[in-house]
Amino acid sequence: MSAVQWLEPRSLAEAGEVRAQRGAEATVLAGGSFLGILMNQGFLSPTCLLSLRAVGELRGITVRDGELCLGAMVTHRQVERDETVRRDWPALARAFGIVASPRVRNQATVGGVLADADYASDPPAMLGALGARAVLRGPTGEREVAIDELILGFYQTCIADDELLTEVRVPPAEPGAVYRKFRSRSSEDRPCVAVAAARSGGALRVVVGACAEMPQHYPDICALAAEGPLDGAMAREIARRYAERLQPLTDARGSAGYRRRIVAVEVRRALEELGGVGGETLVRGRQGGTLVRGRRGGTLVRGRRRAGP
Amino acid sequence: MSASGLDARVTGQLRYAVDAERPGMLHAAFVRSPHAHARVVSIDATAVGADCVALTGEDVADLRRYGCQVRDEHVLAAVARHVGDVVAAVAAPTPRAAREAADRVEVRYEELPAVYDPVEAVEPGAPLLHPDGAHSAGEAVSIGVRPLAGTNACHRFRLVHGDVAAGFGDAEVVVQRAYRTPSAAHAPMEPHAAVAEWEDERLTIWTGTQTPFNLRADLAVAFGLDEERIRIVGGTMGGSFGAKTFVRQEAVLAALARKAGRPVKVVLDRAEEFVTLNRHPSVIRVRLGARRDGSLVAKELDCWVDTGAYADCGPGVATKLGYAGVGPYRIPHVRVDALAIYTNLPPNGAYRGYGAMQSIWASERTMDVLAAEVDLSPLELRRRNLLRDGDRFATGEVMHDVQFERCLQAAADAVDYERDPRGKGLCVLLKGMQTPSRAAISVQRAPVGYVIHTAATEMGQGMRRSLQLLGAELLGCEPGQIEIAAPDTDTSPYDTRTTSSRTTHMMGRALEEAVRDLRTNSNERGYGEIRNEGGLDPDSGQGIASTHWHQGAAAARVTVDEETGKLTVDHLHGVAYAGRIVNPEGAALQNEGALLMGLGTTLFEAIEFADGQVANANLSDYNLPATGDLPTRFTHEIIEREGADVHGLGETVLPPVPAAIGNALFSLGLDVAELPISAERVLAAVDARRERS
Repeated sequence: MSAVQWLEPRSLAEAGEVRAQRGAEATVLAGGSFLGILMNQGFLSPTCLLSLRAVGELRGITVRDGELCLGAMVTHRQVERDETVRRDWPALARAFGIVASPRVRNQATVGGVLADADYASDPPAMLGALGARAVLRGPTGEREVAIDELILGFYQTCIADDELLTEVRVPPAEPGAVYRKFRSRSSEDRPCVAVAAARSGGALRVVVGACAEMPQHYPDICALAAEGPLDGAMAREIARRYAERLQPLTDARGSAGYRRRIVAVEVRRALEELGGVGGETLVRGRQGGTLVRGRRGGTLVRGRRRAGP
Repeated sequence: MSASGLDARVTGQLRYAVDAERPGMLHAAFVRSPHAHARVVSIDATAVGADCVALTGEDVADLRRYGCQVRDEHVLAAVARHVGDVVAAVAAPTPRAAREAADRVEVRYEELPAVYDPVEAVEPGAPLLHPDGAHSAGEAVSIGVRPLAGTNACHRFRLVHGDVAAGFGDAEVVVQRAYRTPSAAHAPMEPHAAVAEWEDERLTIWTGTQTPFNLRADLAVAFGLDEERIRIVGGTMGGSFGAKTFVRQEAVLAALARKAGRPVKVVLDRAEEFVTLNRHPSVIRVRLGARRDGSLVAKELDCWVDTGAYADCGPGVATKLGYAGVGPYRIPHVRVDALAIYTNLPPNGAYRGYGAMQSIWASERTMDVLAAEVDLSPLELRRRNLLRDGDRFATGEVMHDVQFERCLQAAADAVDYERDPRGKGLCVLLKGMQTPSRAAISVQRAPVGYVIHTAATEMGQGMRRSLQLLGAELLGCEPGQIEIAAPDTDTSPYDTRTTSSRTTHMMGRALEEAVRDLRTNSNERGYGEIRNEGGLDPDSGQGIASTHWHQGAAAARVTVDEETGKLTVDHLHGVAYAGRIVNPEGAALQNEGALLMGLGTTLFEAIEFADGQVANANLSDYNLPATGDLPTRFTHEIIEREGADVHGLGETVLPPVPAAIGNALFSLGLDVAELPISAERVLAAVDARRERS
């Protein structure tokens, strides 16, 4: 019987060295909410674990040059509750805050959820829609990759055996980004269909998660939005094309045929929400320290309710 | 306050079977079949290691077949009949070493044809799971078991009341429908766990079980021992819901401890829980005939009840499911035919409600279909046909203390059904209690109060608190002065088992006897015993199904996102008739728990199988209801009646939840006939409605 070898570097430099030396032989452990399930079920039996929990440099939430920088070991719960994130990247706070339950969110990390590349996770689609980049650090330095370059397939990423995912950088967000999580079962379940929609630099990005091996983003369809106002007809058309293009998978949360229909509905709804932003009903501002946001035709008000704009 | 069984859970003082330890004990891991049906050709356990003990077929050659209702189980399977069937076991110094050693046991199999559906399993030519037949067993059986020779049906329960053919001849309206229920997991927080130890040819097992005396009797059969040579010590269970009944992990563990010559402990992991005992999947066909004015004249129920690889209590479940499906109605002509059927799925057994939910879901959905046909409100259709005091039920029993109408009306009022029934659904139910059965209890004076010895078991349902409250009232002391000793077959008086919502009802009355006896024994010790006699004839369904009836109802109000099929339960209300409440707080918790479990069953709980293999054997892929799944309004009530007996209520409001929600959808023209009522099924019902119109 062999015990699992436990490596716990105390700094990023040390972690990088260990990673470079041990490579794939040492399984990188972040929060453990995903790896723990795989190990418990016997799908994975690592002989050596490289834990990042003692690496303090990976725990920061900062803003640099207007970009949000999330350390790989920042937990979902921290993203969800951080004042800066809630104020300036509210849809991101929502996407992290809607994962599973607080017990899981206190454990699961920003780096972990990307490196796992689990098709049914919430954050990757939202990060993709916001144009986020993952920082991969190897022996020869750092490189930045977009989310759709990072995730290659089911549980597959472009992270090399000597690299660590150290940080996620999110560009400044234009107001009104949307994350819609459609659950077909329990409130704590993973999404059946997830839709993230955001605008940056005038361009629309719609990313559909949980329906295929990786988040699905179709720039040519999104480009339609440049041809006219994002009204009901435009929302329907983009949604229809997404549903047509996507090759959904079947799992316990829904069949491929069902998912295709839900994609058409949820992409449209996401764009209707996004289109509502900038309209007369937008309420955005701080009130007593609490963000208040209203949506046209909707009932969702995040933060404290108040009588009116 | 550890005696209350409540605070000790918070302080961590309470010890569960997973905490049990014996000096020098080893830890067990089971070797399980990866095939749904396969003959074991050979087992090579030579690689397990010198400090491990392996148990294989030849070690159990002297042991006999056992089973609580049918003797069809072997301590180790020479023919694996489901994925996860135990074919060998290993004991080692640590749980991890045991798991690794078990993985080194090489088993060669010869695969056999398998069947996974109860309807297919009774068709001609289906592979037979137990070709040498089923043999009735044990005192746990309250009915004669009626296997159909040469088939996979290990039991057939029939109920015949009146002349059903003539009844349908009189019917002006007839509806016929079929409904499906999948398998479900009990999912208690604490998994199955036990320690077994042999000393002087005497076996002691510390385990979490609802059935200490049945377990002792079954192990006595398997090991060929007098029952007195076996001692079962039960502790508080971290939940059970029917999962910890009869022999589960204990027989293999006892055989392993016998070979090791040392105590051995096992704790199953979550994936193993999904192949240990589940709920019976079922297909139920209902045919219901009525006059134009809505009076019921005839009902037929055909039930295919999937008991999995071994009968366990499947015959009992098929029986209870069969008569509960008749419903609390006056119907002059009834025929029920319920089969408990072997398939190559893991064994199915007792699950909170014991089959009642499956047939109530089918029958009460059919009532609303009939209501639409005869153009009556579903509430009014039920009212016109409900059993009342003095009426005769289909089993021939004369009904007493009948409260169905009160329960139904209370449920209807909770959702303001009569003002506007759209988006709302109702269900009213009858279910029975284990009959015949016996409950005994003793009371002994102690320095600070009294000690009660009982084999009733605590699984979080509040048995201890209820007996303390009853005892305090009878003995004139404070509840905290009464200690409830842990169930121990060496020292506890006999009890049939802690199931079927019977403990407060049966033990409460036994305790009254015991206290009376104590008064005549200079207040030192007293003994009380209650028997309920009866049982149903399996061929006619006549006799005594239950000496007291569980009566209840539920109402639901729903809204549907018709673009996605996503169902929102805006209000769920459960009503249970309690007779007299003993422990108000505990009763409320039981009602809430049963409703919530019913909600999970209705909306998303289902074990998924792929070629007999559980595809979602973890609590991420198998969804249980979470706090966020609670309906916007989640309410219940417990009805009492002055001077009434104590009625059981641990299960009552679970069975009506699926039909109440299904009927709420039906009121919107959305017809779903299979559980769970998933968003995808609702969307298909939206499509079907559009096609109809």
